[in-house]
Amino acid sequence: MSDATAVVTEDEAIELFAFLMTSARSQLDDPCRYASMRLLTAAEELRDRIIDRVTPDTRAILRATEPKTSFAQTHTNDLEAYTATLDGLCAETARFLVERFGGSAADGG
Amino acid sequence: MLDLIASRRVVRVMTDEPVAREDLERILEAGRWAPVGGNQRTVRFVAVQDPSTLRLLRMVSPGMLQRPKAAVVLCLDRDVASAEGFSATDPTPFYDIGTTLQTLLLAAHALALGAGPVSSCAWAAVAVVLNLPPNLLPRMIVCIGHAAAPAEQMPMRGPKVTWQDLTRWERYEVTPEGADGG
Repeated sequence: MSDATAVVTEDEAIELFAFLMTSARSQLDDPCRYASMRLLTAAEELRDRIIDRVTPDTRAILRATEPKTSFAQTHTNDLEAYTATLDGLCAETARFLVERFGGSAADGG
Repeated sequence: MLDLIASRRVVRVMTDEPVAREDLERILEAGRWAPVGGNQRTVRFVAVQDPSTLRLLRMVSPGMLQRPKAAVVLCLDRDVASAEGFSATDPTPFYDIGTTLQTLLLAAHALALGAGPVSSCAWAAVAVVLNLPPNLLPRMIVCIGHAAAPAEQMPMRGPKVTWQDLTRWERYEVTPEGADGG
């Protein structure tokens, strides 16, 4: 279990908030599939900001998923590859979540 | 000119090298010569070099993957368009944004700079960031900087096409199978 040390500064949090807020608006004009790209960009931005401040375990999952995230970002026109990559990223993230929080969940956390 | 047109690419990764003010002014002058409907100057430029303003622009422009050293925001002057007789819903004045965009991209390329357009923005937020008057409608951001190495650029999406793929001579013809047989 990690401590409660902040890994995002207030400015960084505001920047991410603005990205998500403005994406909600711009997405109304953009092609639907851009929504997935924007969320992926947000995930990348968050990862880039926190990767040097998190615990080694978290850093490991962020580093492990980084190449696949970059691949997905540049292959959105290949829906099959894009979907498969995102499935892999989600599964990898879920395995990390289970390992990190599984005990707490069993305890009713 | 034809080589410039064929070699221009959208640049989404830029270096930290600043853009010279003189180069930016030359790009803006080229934009002034862009072809526009009725020779009415419906497009206004807001040129941005201040790092804090660029950062703010990026914060409200989800499509801005670049971290540019300069940007030109293309705004449609609704007063000019209205005076020319265009209704608020007529798309024609927005064509001027397109011709101006292409002119700016080519000018940047001619000066060995990289440039990339951004249209995925929260325009109401852009207007606030730039303190725009109500008659100016921001509709395109041209990011300008020095391009990073080609290997660092995002790969081009979609299949390669030739001009022949895009062209039919004189008129479309429909084959018996239903496919167009240009």
